[in-house]
Amino acid sequence: MGSSALYKIILTFGFLSLFHAAYSAAQHRSYLRLNELDFTKLPTDIFIQALISLLGIMFGVIHVAGNFKEIKASADLENKSWETFRNIQSFYTFCHREH
Amino acid sequence: MSTKAKQESIAYNEGAIRNNLSIVEYCRTSMAALSGCTAGLLGLTNLYGAIFYICAVLTLWLMILYKAGFSDWSKYFISRKSLLTNGFFGQLFTYILCWTFIYGMVHVY
Repeated sequence: MGSSALYKIILTFGFLSLFHAAYSAAQHRSYLRLNELDFTKLPTDIFIQALISLLGIMFGVIHVAGNFKEIKASADLENKSWETFRNIQSFYTFCHREH
Repeated sequence: MSTKAKQESIAYNEGAIRNNLSIVEYCRTSMAALSGCTAGLLGLTNLYGAIFYICAVLTLWLMILYKAGFSDWSKYFISRKSLLTNGFFGQLFTYILCWTFIYGMVHVY
């Protein structure tokens, strides 16, 4: 469970960082509009921050979504012995010892 | 519960296959929405957005393979290629929706 909490923290920080990048981009845009400049490209730091937070979110989502199971039908039977399957409780006998 | 593959006679656990594919589907939908948001944020237009989507799909594929393990992904998935191409165009619409929405929010208004 400890690692799952770590991935959730990564996910939360990724979302916050992506939102921050979006807000910065909107502010940059309004700055350009006030100074009557043309939009050519975003500042590099916003660009990099958005990309890194996207990667972080994808990494977090993949690990939060759940664990894969083995698809071979025999995968979860391999570790069990025949004794486990033959275990039928109705056939237990406890009266085989002398008093 | 188990189905037989065509060529080799390996019995697969259908519940496990369905579990894995639903996890992948979940990741793919979130990836489409979030990469769309990022593309809109970055202000990508026409072909750059499509290229960004392809990059995002490839990155997600690599990350899923990393999670499953690059050498023993066949324990969890039958085909590696269908993992990449499944739902490519279906998720594209989610991507375009988020892309245009966030582009409008950040760059137009």
